[in-house]
Amino acid sequence: MDIKSELRKSWIIMMKEFKQIFRKKMLIIPLFMFPIIMIVFFGYGMGGSIKNVDILIVNDDTGMASSSLVQEIGSYIPKDSDIKMFSITYTKDMAQSEAERKIDAGLYKAVLIIPQDYSERVAKNESVTLTLLTDSSDTTSSGIIVNFMQQLLAKTRSISLNVPEIYGNLKYLDFLTPAVIALTIFFGTVQSTGYAIAGEREDGTIVRILMTPVSKWAVILGKTIHQLILQLIRAVILILGATVILGVTMNGSWLLVALVLTIFTFGSVGLGIAISAISEDMTSFQQLSLFFTLPSMFATGVFYPLSSVPDWMRWIAYTMPLTYANDAMRIIMVKGQGLSFIARDIFILIIFGVLYFAIGVHLFRREA
Amino acid sequence: MEPIIEARDLTKVFISRRMKVTAVDHVSLEIYKGEIFGMIGPNGAGKSTTFAMMSTLIKPTSGSIRVSSFDAEKEATKIRQIIGVVPQQYSLYSDLTARENLELMGNLYDVTKKVMEERINYYLKLVNLETHADRFTGGFSGGMKQRLSVISAVIHDPEIIFWDEPTTGLDPQTRQAIWKLARKFNKEGKTLIFTTHYMEEADKLCDRVAIMNDGRLVALDTPENLKKKSSSVSLEEVFIHLTGEEIRD
Repeated sequence: MDIKSELRKSWIIMMKEFKQIFRKKMLIIPLFMFPIIMIVFFGYGMGGSIKNVDILIVNDDTGMASSSLVQEIGSYIPKDSDIKMFSITYTKDMAQSEAERKIDAGLYKAVLIIPQDYSERVAKNESVTLTLLTDSSDTTSSGIIVNFMQQLLAKTRSISLNVPEIYGNLKYLDFLTPAVIALTIFFGTVQSTGYAIAGEREDGTIVRILMTPVSKWAVILGKTIHQLILQLIRAVILILGATVILGVTMNGSWLLVALVLTIFTFGSVGLGIAISAISEDMTSFQQLSLFFTLPSMFATGVFYPLSSVPDWMRWIAYTMPLTYANDAMRIIMVKGQGLSFIARDIFILIIFGVLYFAIGVHLFRREA
Repeated sequence: MEPIIEARDLTKVFISRRMKVTAVDHVSLEIYKGEIFGMIGPNGAGKSTTFAMMSTLIKPTSGSIRVSSFDAEKEATKIRQIIGVVPQQYSLYSDLTARENLELMGNLYDVTKKVMEERINYYLKLVNLETHADRFTGGFSGGMKQRLSVISAVIHDPEIIFWDEPTTGLDPQTRQAIWKLARKFNKEGKTLIFTTHYMEEADKLCDRVAIMNDGRLVALDTPENLKKKSSSVSLEEVFIHLTGEEIRD
């Protein structure tokens, strides 16, 4: 195989794809407007509840008041549920910086720090301050936890709650946007790759291409590079739009965003090729692609935290690559963390990517 | 005469979940360099499958094919470089212009820029599409698409042209133009292989005709000899005589 010639042919295929997509003007609008509309609608319209959320209580007090407070938090069951709101881990003598690291690592959604003299001060009716650290990158859970604690402590006037903003002042949009970008890339890649191949098969153009000396690999590589470039441009426009227009937080590295989305797009191209390969025509591709993509939209924690969904749904989410892309995008964009914090997500996305791509290539038969 | 295509004991079996269909059943034939070779047969006779195997689009279940001394199984890429295929569907990118469709094909065949430009201008003029060169093919009529489809397949100057039902659905004027084009290519030394349902087309255009029925090759000769052998006045009579009157699916 002459690699130079193969790469040149991939380039030809890629340029053809770009020419075609930018001529379909009606496609450009939904390509970029769809995610913006989703962010706006969901960003301003969503509420939510949580259950069994992992929190850490650092209790340096040994008195009765702190015991009863902790018990009250631990036993709280929301009105519309029969499951406790929190799953609590207890410790003592932990510095705030260490507690923040636990949140960074995703171990807890919140840490409540009760000072040593809490019970004594409550008994004397003196003012006392509790510190509540929350994972504000998950704005839904964080907001609910802060509200709950504020209501609980409001019963005693002398107690105040200090809630440091460890990732800055975040809104639901900050939680939503990274995942909507990942979702958009996922849907966009699967749909446009699949449509292109299913469409080319239906109008016979793929047969003509495969009748030339171009290899199956060069065709797939050309289509993949086209999608990578297109989706990365889309992501940049979306992030810039979300930060400039909607004031969404972008705390992390653009390079890491590109890395995650490149790996994720690679797998999504594979999935698009695989679905189009097993589809008999465009209509069956539409139905099949919805079957593969739609559950990801709702099960993978795009719109609400995974901690708020039932266990069975969470397990389904763990089998979907979008879950890991969402997680990595939030860690980068909201928490501003580095590569080591998304290593697990990247590793799993690579596995999914290689698997989907191998299946896609295998099914993309020369006998189109 | 020197054979440019040799098919030996060619068989193709399609297996789906519910059934096994032998589309081509032990077919052997030779196609000579420089001839116009026609393949005719009722629907489902196996002519399109034989055509697809010879043009390297699909692999035979058993048997062998050599095209210009290249083995179809091992050297498919080399074969693709020297053949041009005009599919039954026009197979053009509707959102690319006529010129861009031709450039795409030329690039995939590694035709140099200068040569490609000359050929594109020459062929567009030859098929009366020069004034439509920069129009999207989505708006072309069936005849225009067929003419463009033909020149897309010859932009790399192939030795052999495979042509699947070249005139199906075309008006008489376009059909005449396509026949003229086929003869022109043949005069230039190219070998032409085509499938057709039109007996008149096979009779007028072909040096030799292969008649297939139920996956088998039932006759192969010049149109004149075929008519003589079965004492028929037309190729259609020969066809009916050899393949029966039963309507096929």
